[in-house]
Amino acid sequence: MITLENVSYRYQRGERDAVSDVSLAVAPGECIMVTGPSGAGKTTLCMAASGILEHEFEGEKSGRVTINGRDAKDYPGLPEIAAHVSLVFDDPEAQLIFTTVEEEILSALERRGLSPAEIEERLSSILEITRLGTLKDRPPYALSGGQKQRVALAAALALGTDIVILDEPTAELDEEGTAGIVSVLLDLKAHGKTILLTEHKYSHFRDLVDRLVVMEGGRFRAIGPPSSLVDDRSVAEILVPDFSGIRRMFPAQSANAGDPVISVRDLDYLYGDVPALAGVSLDICPGEFVAIVGENGSGKTTLIKHFIGLLHAARGSVTVDGKDAKATPVSELAHSVGLVFQNPDHMFFADTVAEEVMFGITNLGIPHPEEVLEKALSRCRLSGARDLYPRWLSRGERQRLAIACVLAMQPKVIVLDEPTTGLDGRESREVMEILKHLQGEGRAVVMVTHNHQMAAECADRIVTMKAGRVVSDTRTVA
Amino acid sequence: MAEILQYVHKDGLFHRMHPGTKLFFILVIGIMTILSLDIPFLCALLGAVLLLALAGNILREVLDQMKLILVMSVVFILITLVTMPGGEVLFSLLPGGFLPVTTGALNAGITLTLRFAILIMAFQIFVISTQPRDLVNTLEKMGVPIDYNLMFLIALRFIPTLQVEAKKIHEAQLARGYSTGNGFVGRIKSVAPVMVPLVSNALSRANVLGITIDMRGYRTRKRTPFREEKFNTVDRAFAGVLGVALAAYIAAAVLQVIG
Repeated sequence: MITLENVSYRYQRGERDAVSDVSLAVAPGECIMVTGPSGAGKTTLCMAASGILEHEFEGEKSGRVTINGRDAKDYPGLPEIAAHVSLVFDDPEAQLIFTTVEEEILSALERRGLSPAEIEERLSSILEITRLGTLKDRPPYALSGGQKQRVALAAALALGTDIVILDEPTAELDEEGTAGIVSVLLDLKAHGKTILLTEHKYSHFRDLVDRLVVMEGGRFRAIGPPSSLVDDRSVAEILVPDFSGIRRMFPAQSANAGDPVISVRDLDYLYGDVPALAGVSLDICPGEFVAIVGENGSGKTTLIKHFIGLLHAARGSVTVDGKDAKATPVSELAHSVGLVFQNPDHMFFADTVAEEVMFGITNLGIPHPEEVLEKALSRCRLSGARDLYPRWLSRGERQRLAIACVLAMQPKVIVLDEPTTGLDGRESREVMEILKHLQGEGRAVVMVTHNHQMAAECADRIVTMKAGRVVSDTRTVA
Repeated sequence: MAEILQYVHKDGLFHRMHPGTKLFFILVIGIMTILSLDIPFLCALLGAVLLLALAGNILREVLDQMKLILVMSVVFILITLVTMPGGEVLFSLLPGGFLPVTTGALNAGITLTLRFAILIMAFQIFVISTQPRDLVNTLEKMGVPIDYNLMFLIALRFIPTLQVEAKKIHEAQLARGYSTGNGFVGRIKSVAPVMVPLVSNALSRANVLGITIDMRGYRTRKRTPFREEKFNTVDRAFAGVLGVALAAYIAAAVLQVIG
């Protein structure tokens, strides 16, 4: 078990405590889920509970952490703590060191003083519990995000600890990947493991959680069994996104208001010789809010890359704002279509938020740059952050900055790939409100998502894709 | 996309060999390649390496790097044309006798290209057929400190990750109207929007990676021997052939010097 007594911590050069006077006792076999907006101190709490703060971080610490009855300070170092606690982080890529799944698990098993027979036995039981048996010879780059995260979890399990701490293990995962992690954790709990987990997706973890902690500004806002907390409205809006009233912010524009800005006809696309898109036809008109939904690999991202000429049709045509997307350079199409990728960290390179937004404005030679910049920042609620370093912003702010960067290029259509990845309920709602405003200005909004509920509550039209085809295209009732 | 320098799970001659034997293979090929200036001999050596790749059932994977080798060969030959003119002038690349193509420069360029190709391909054979875990274990036994070992391992492991990420970043910046600049200064400037996110993301990963390695006890705890590769008959035979070839090569070289 783990106890924290009045733990506070301030990072070097931090302006306030990342966690402030928190106390928590995690009982053996218990599962505690910690939730709260980004920047609430969830990751710091994981680092404290696993003794990593004590051993790896400078900064101001106070309070006491014990791990299985021993003060974290009294362990000589991380390898000794790792006999009691294992950790899984949000970025699966950084936790895989080897080039096949099996090696990854063996790397942890081989350093525990087990006999070869025991290693063999544990290896096969871990492969079974994490459902990785058929993937054991795969390299990391041939695995999906969800599979990679299961490998990270498998390597953590190979350490054979009673306690498993997971820091947002599903933040970068889709529906299927999340479900995979949840089912492994349910198994672990049934085997008596103690689990401390930070998460945004409460609804997925409902069956697992014994106690819920809601953090805000480094402190515990609420703690208790989920049933006693979910009725509190201010807690509930963090736990589960509330999109009520979003659609009515602006009345849906009448369908087919004007000529389509994007027109896709009989589009086929192949990755190597694997068909990724087959016979897709679709029109998107100004003022529409369209959600494209479907599972991983259904072709959603492949389709939107055609809108801006990053991919070119093998057969069929894509017309953007009257231009043939195949024959027009990306930089030209960027005047008409703004594409916001899933991970905002793939675009930030400037020293300040304002410079970051200016990049696109300058590239496209947008008139009245200062005015456009201010408007984009205020639309995305970032006016107060204009001089900050983009990478130090919270996840929610970084997502809004990514939207501001694209918005400032004044596209007629704004296309977003999974815009609520890694965001809590409140941050998700903020993003949807921004998108609704853009629709209100007469732009078309296209949002790729695997979240059917969000699509149904926010979009006016839902396009469902499956195995590279559009299988349904319906209007939601306002 | 061709994955540069990665282990490929397959069954073949080299996959069944002990990593130590394969290290010896690289060493022998390396010595012969670096000491030799003879183009026919280097061609024969290249042929031998390719035949070995074929015998090891990994020729296709080894040839994946042909594009890189061809690009480098053009660069090498251009450099030698400018820097090492000598011998007869065959023709000029530019009208008016500028950039003459000389036999000496061509010779040097081709030699460099052949050496480069042989070394890359021999290294490819090694990396494609050796699980990093076996490599780390072998190097550990040979007395290489574990930290250096891990550095090498992580460098190999993250090449494809960086390739994939660079592509995503490039696409994200293209969508923001980014274009590779013109002229030397423009080109340098246009590197930042791709390199800065790539390096920043890699650095932010380093912390988690370090903690993960430490928690697995990789730097501190002793390893249980498990599924060890043993020197088998193939290893002994192959190492024997390599030894004889190296001895013969050195003998021939010495004779040439004396004679």
